[in-house]
Amino acid sequence: MKKEGTFALRIYPVLFMALLTVLFITVVSGIYLSTKDLVEMNETLSRKKAVLYAAGIDFPDGNPEGIQEIYTNRVREIGTADGRPAYFEILTDGSVSGYAAYVSGAGLWGQIVAIFGFGKDLKQFTGVEFIEQNETPGLGARITEPWFKEQFRGKTGPFTLVDEGTATGPGQLDAITGATRTSTAILRISNKAPEVAEEVIASNGGEH
Amino acid sequence: MVKGKLKKTFTDPLGKNNPVFAQILGICSTLAVTNKLENTVVMTLGVVFTTTLSSFVISLIRKWIPSRVRMMAETLIIASFVIIVDITLRAYMPDIWKQLGPYVGLIITNCIIMGRAEAFALNNTPGLSLIDGLASGIGYSYVLIIVAIFRELLGTGSLWGIKILGSWWTNWSIMIMPPGAFFMLAIFIWIVKGAIIPEKEEAKK
Repeated sequence: MKKEGTFALRIYPVLFMALLTVLFITVVSGIYLSTKDLVEMNETLSRKKAVLYAAGIDFPDGNPEGIQEIYTNRVREIGTADGRPAYFEILTDGSVSGYAAYVSGAGLWGQIVAIFGFGKDLKQFTGVEFIEQNETPGLGARITEPWFKEQFRGKTGPFTLVDEGTATGPGQLDAITGATRTSTAILRISNKAPEVAEEVIASNGGEH
Repeated sequence: MVKGKLKKTFTDPLGKNNPVFAQILGICSTLAVTNKLENTVVMTLGVVFTTTLSSFVISLIRKWIPSRVRMMAETLIIASFVIIVDITLRAYMPDIWKQLGPYVGLIITNCIIMGRAEAFALNNTPGLSLIDGLASGIGYSYVLIIVAIFRELLGTGSLWGIKILGSWWTNWSIMIMPPGAFFMLAIFIWIVKGAIIPEKEEAKK
């Protein structure tokens, strides 16, 4: 800045910033819009995978068309809540054989959101998939590892926690060593899961 | 002379003027994202991308930036690149994006990027600024990656999620908790500053 006149001091900086802002917002918006569909597709696909996983239905990972086909045949989305389906009916040969529903609760660092799958009686768990969690990587975040999620299949609550790797009975859950707070959070969430599912099914006019 | 400056611009941030262990910048992310190697690598790629391109662009328009609003302009440019990283991860690597969570957005608060913009890009040509940005990014990255290798290996017995150490290994849970990052980084800085750098300087004399 050689001259410190009104233009250089007051007007030019404003014009400069306005121009720069418009330029960069255009670029960023362009990139956002061009990836928007892909992002939405990713989100829908990961939700579908989560529901299938929670319901204990095998699907070809990495094959979106295959997942889509199985999903259409086996899952019916019911109602909407918070911009996503309120709950899911799991179909076997066209009739309802189970349910899947969102259940959330406080974890150690933040909210944990899971999709729980149930049998038709809403008592037996068919599985669980965690779709949102901010637990400590390597400790609490191990809830997303297969060994932890798989242990829910076929069990009936209410659960109690036992040491990692020692769960045997249908009411026992393996805790994660070193992640006591996360383990108790999961215990709390999974024990209230059947109730939550029952409520959401009832409030959407469904019966089970 | 020009070639010498080019080389110095590139090697300084890697060694004696390293942003992390010499300038102690970018510590927040060094502490936060180094407990899993995979996340660390993605994070460092994001920082390298942002610091390289923002330095380049800021240097490109440095003559038109009014000095009174230069920080605003820098922040805007840096933020734009950070958002681009965020969107790209979200679209193409959704799993990693989920794991990194808010940290990608926090690249903007990484002092290295703003520091290089202020200290270098505003006074140097675009080409040189690009190299400086790239080197600073790499200097940041390798420190983080080294810290992450130790933390993940000692903390979980694995690297990149693959089990390395056998069942005889007892995980040092502290390593993957925030205090582990303080210990590792402190040890790293101690070793580098105490042993490696002074030797080099003496050798030069």
